[in-house]
Order: sequence, then C-alpha cells, then structure tokens
Amino acid sequence: MSTLRLASRLPFETRRKLFLLTLGAPALVYVLAIGVGPVAQGVWYSLFDYSLIHPARRHFVGLGNYAALFADASFRNALLNTIVFSGAAVALEFATGLGLALLLWRDSRFNQICLALLLVPVTVTPIAVGLIFKGLLEPDFGMIGYWLAHWGWSDPRGLLGATHTSLATLVLIDIWEWTPLMALILLAGLKALPVDVLEAATADGSTLLQRFWMVILPLLLPAIFLALVLRTMDAFRVFDSIYVTTGGGPAGATDTLMMLAVKRGLQFFDIGAASAIGNTMILCLALIASLFVLLIRRADRLANGR
Amino acid sequence: MTKRKPAVGLLALTALLVPSGVFAQAKPYAGITLALASQNDQFAPVLAKLAPQFEAATGAIVKVDIMDYGTLLTKTTADFVGHTKGYDLVTMDIVWSGAFAENGYTVDLTNWIKRDAAEIDTGDIYPVLMQSLGGFAGKQMAFPFAGYANVLAYRKDLYAAASLTPPKTMEELVTDAVKLTDPAKHTFGFVANGKTGPAGAQDWMQYNSQMGGSIVDAAGKPVINSAANVESLNVYKELFAKAAPPGAADYDWDGREQSFRNGTVATMETWSVGAPGYYDPKQSKVVDTVAIEAAPSAKGLPPRYGVGGWGMAINADSDPKKQEAAWAFIKWLTSPEIHKQFNLEGAGSFLRRSEMTDKDLLAKFPFLPVIATTFENGNGDYRPRIPQYPEIQDLLGTAVNAVLVGSADPKAALDEVQAKAEKLF
Repeated sequence: MSTLRLASRLPFETRRKLFLLTLGAPALVYVLAIGVGPVAQGVWYSLFDYSLIHPARRHFVGLGNYAALFADASFRNALLNTIVFSGAAVALEFATGLGLALLLWRDSRFNQICLALLLVPVTVTPIAVGLIFKGLLEPDFGMIGYWLAHWGWSDPRGLLGATHTSLATLVLIDIWEWTPLMALILLAGLKALPVDVLEAATADGSTLLQRFWMVILPLLLPAIFLALVLRTMDAFRVFDSIYVTTGGGPAGATDTLMMLAVKRGLQFFDIGAASAIGNTMILCLALIASLFVLLIRRADRLANGR
Repeated sequence: MTKRKPAVGLLALTALLVPSGVFAQAKPYAGITLALASQNDQFAPVLAKLAPQFEAATGAIVKVDIMDYGTLLTKTTADFVGHTKGYDLVTMDIVWSGAFAENGYTVDLTNWIKRDAAEIDTGDIYPVLMQSLGGFAGKQMAFPFAGYANVLAYRKDLYAAASLTPPKTMEELVTDAVKLTDPAKHTFGFVANGKTGPAGAQDWMQYNSQMGGSIVDAAGKPVINSAANVESLNVYKELFAKAAPPGAADYDWDGREQSFRNGTVATMETWSVGAPGYYDPKQSKVVDTVAIEAAPSAKGLPPRYGVGGWGMAINADSDPKKQEAAWAFIKWLTSPEIHKQFNLEGAGSFLRRSEMTDKDLLAKFPFLPVIATTFENGNGDYRPRIPQYPEIQDLLGTAVNAVLVGSADPKAALDEVQAKAEKLF
C-alpha cells in the first residue's frame, strides 16, 4: 500500500518513465548479461598476463598484451590476411550475388527452382565444405587438384599448398558457399521495392541501365547495407574452412585472426592474449560497420536526398 | 506345518540374500558411472566395446566419450581448470604429462602402482612406456595403456626392383629415397607430414632425433637452432624437394597415410598403430608388398627409436570412490588377458613384453618383433614432455612448413623459433 501511495504521489511524467523503464528492464538485463558482460570481461582479461595452465603467474600488464601482439609479425600477418580475405570475399560475393538476385528477380517457376538449388551450398556446414574442397584440390590424388597440377594449371604443391594461391583459393571456396546468401538478402530487398516507382521510371522512358543506377540501386541501399555488414562480420571471423584445409599454412599464408585466437585461447590457454585478439577483432568489425553506415548514408543522401 | 513355515521362509530369504550378497561383493563398484574422455585413435572404439565387460565384472559403468585431439585437450583442460569433474578418466598424450604434473590435474599414481605391483605385474610392462606415457619428474600422472612405436614402412617390390635393401641408416634412407623417386611414373621415395601445426612439427622432430638433433638440452632448455638441428632441417628440406610427392608439404597424417596406402610412396616412417591397416585390402593397395622395419638412425649413432602413445589418467578432482573405481578400470584394461583382447580387437596399442611373443597376436600382427625392438631400445624424448611443449610444437610446425615451401631458410627459421621459445621459459 505504502509503495502504491508513494508511487501515486510521484508526478505523472516520472511514473510514466518508471513504467517504461520497467517494461524495458528485462531486455536490458538480457543484453547486459549476454552481450555487454562477456565483452567487458574479455576486455578485463586482455589486460592481464593470464594463462589457464599457469594460473599462479597471473598479473596485470595493462595494454601489454596488445603491444606484444602488434609487435609480433605473425599477428600482423594474420590481420592483413583477414582483411584481404574479408575484403576480396565480400566484394566478389556482393557483385555475383547482386547479379544473381537481378537474374532471379522475376517470379517464375524456373527462378524459384533455381533459387532453391542455389541455396544448397549455404546449408552445408563450413567444416564439410572445407574437407570436400581439400579432398578435391589435393595435388597428388585429388579429383581436380591432380589434373590441375598435371596440366601445369596450378603449382605442383596444389592450389591450397602454394603460398601465392592458397588464400585466393580459400576466398573462392567462401564465394562458392556464401554468394547464395548474399543473393537471397538482395533478392528480398529487390522484391520489396515499390512497383509504382519502377513502373513510373519505365513510363518515363528510362533505359535499363538508367533504371538500375538511378532507381533500383538507391532504393536497394538498406538491403545492401544488411548484406554487406552480415557477410563482412562472418568473413572476418572465418575459421572452419581454413582450419580443416590449410591450418593457416603454407608458411602462414592463410593464417587469420580467428585461427590465431583459437590457437592462443584453446590450445595454449593463454586467455590474456586470446582476449586481446578477440577485442581487436571486435574493434575492427565496429570500424568496418561504422564505415558502411557512413558510406551508405552518404550514398542515400546523394541518391535519395534524404 | 505351521512350525515349518518360518523355516521355509528363512530359507527362501537366505536364498534371496546369498546371491545378492555375492553380487554385492563381486561388483564392488555397482552404481558408479565413470566418464572417460578418449582420443579418437584406433583404440577408442575398442575401449567403448570393452566397457560393458568391465561393468559386468565390477558393476561400474564406463561411458566412453570419443573426440579429436584438439577437442580432447580443450575439454579436459577446461574440466581440470574449472574443477567441474566432467571426466573421471582421461586418455593423456605423451606430451601433456609436463603440464598435467605441474598443475596437479591428475592423480599421481606412483604409490598405487607400488602397492599393486604384483597384481599389475609391472615387470611385464616396458619400462620406456611406463616412464614416457605418464611419467614426469618422479611422478606418474597416467598409466600407459597404448604404446606406439615409430617404425619404417617400406615397399618390398620397389626396393627389390631398384636392387636396394631397406635403409639401415638415415643417410641410406635419404639416398635410397631419391633413387626411388620417378615423378613421371608418379612414384616417390619418401613421404612425411609437412603441414603447418602439430603434423609438420612432430614428423620433423622424429627425423631430427634420428639424425642426431634434439629440441632441448640435458637441462630441459631449448636448443632449437643448434648446428645439428639446422643441418637436419636442411636434409629434410632436400628430402621433401627431391623425393616426396609435391603435395607433401601440405600433408598431415591423413594425407601421408593415404599416399603410402595408395601405392605412390616407397618409404614412410609411421606409428605402429597404423600398421595393421596396410595389411587390410579394404584400406590399402600395398597389402602384399609392404614390410615393417625398425626406423634407421644416422651413421655412428646408437638407435634413436621413437616411442609415443597414450596413458590413462585419473582426474584429481573426482570423488575418492570414483578414483578407486577408475584405478580398478585401468588395472583391468591393462591386465594381460584384457589387454590381449584389446589388441586382438584392433586397438594397435601394445604395452606388455608378453604380448610380443603371444602366438595369437603374432599371427595377426607379424611386425611385433619390430615393435619389441623399438620398445626395448627407444625413448619418447624426441618430443620434450615439458609444460611449454604446445607452444614450441606450434612454432616448429610453422617454421618447418615455411622451410619446406621455400619461404624461409632453415637457419633463420630455427633462430626465430629459438628466440620465441626462450621467452616461454
């Protein structure tokens, strides 16, 4: 009773705020517990020399883990590989995905069947994809790799075994697997475009190319943003397909940040260094996402005047 | 009649009680469930198959959880560090004993082994296995149950066609391998793991030891860029360039085994555990032409046979009653009778001297004398069993692979590993 009386004495605005806060509280608690908490803990761990195998050695090192990482050539190599892999894979997947989405836009039975078949690679787990390609591309007895090496179309060590082709091959495997997802997101965006605007553009006598550049692409920007951010985040964390094919080799040519983080964290149990790598990845992703937001907003303003 | 009723009742009661009393005594661990984390090696399915027999004998249920090497290490370490008692029994790789001993993850079995020495018949177990598959700095962190010998597998037909005999020294192995290589016929003299990571590191460490090199000195400190090691890596690089299949620099155990089993390779060193597979027509094209010999060492050196394998360890956090049952399981599994059955079922995991002369086992595995020679004269020291081993192995894996694909010079690569390894101590 007393609480109620106290509440009734509060001004309406305050009560309304309290009410809204109470409604939002469960979601807030959830985000804090599941999202913010672990990240904060990861940041905290990264400030320590902390190994699960040598718990007695644990001590505060400040930014020492980060300094050690950036001084380490293998980390810089992994960072560069990750950026090259994500950049190349996402750009090519976007170009091919957009092309596929445009081809499948018209709602025919044939297109629906094509779409269903196209989605098959997405449903295979990346580990299986990696193992299948590893078997196919093996230069001494792989179904494809043997002939590529035999005809001199690949290095004798095979596409995955040569330093100059291994990362590119992994990009191609990623493209094979994830382009359909890109196409699906963009296709959903295309299907949601306002038909009247497109019809008006056609009635105004615009060419196909004009319609694409001046109407379709600007209206598709939100879907493009979603597709790019989702895929970049995924590509940046690439692990499974590399782990089972090259293991980061040859000579570190396919080592990525996630490979390094898993090695440090789950093989050496060096929680401090692994957390520092994880946080660097989060920071990189945040930067990339902000860059996308800026670019898309700018493009949106230029094209749509919003 | 009325007088006899209680007597009959008593008899019936006794009849009911006696067997259950015997039951309780014969099954001292009834009601206990032991969780066993097992490496996915050849012995794993056999462990799972034999577990019900242990239950029938003692009442304890053994649940065998089979996983790959990385998962096993991660899951069990997490279990030890978090004191979550998820596993009571853990298969332990030879190289983990240092870390396990330093942190007291598993029960030190020294006193139990002493107490039950007669029952175990410790004299029948190869000392090298007892010492290397669980022994560390005077402690026994695991009990050996799966001893592997590093052996030389070669193709009799290819050696005979080239009028060569199997190599007795590393120098012969190298020259023979080059002679037996003919890329036009897709035949290669040699194969080993070249892939970055544990695969490449472990194979090179084995050959390095046979060529006279060593990863750590007598005090256990790294001497990775020693002259002997640099020289052996140079030879290894030549061997890969001149005699191995082109893809070998990217091979791990699977690729290496496949290339031998499908008949493209003349010589390969390997763990004895895989040897039964070469004689199995379902898995091998070299059934009639394969032979197993002891691995060679450099000219003038005493034999440096490599020993590896797995020990069974008991989680130090487990309840005392479970630890007791787990110890009973280890004794049962490694007892002459059960361990023979274990191997007849295809575990490929030898342990006892008596197994090497057992008629049934010899009939099935004709290469047992080679394993016996290796166990009598070999050691498990080519991979140092120190707590820093995982990091050193990783550094070596990257360096060896970089040398094999021509991205680094052997001396420079090993200098870099040495500098990084020193920081770990």
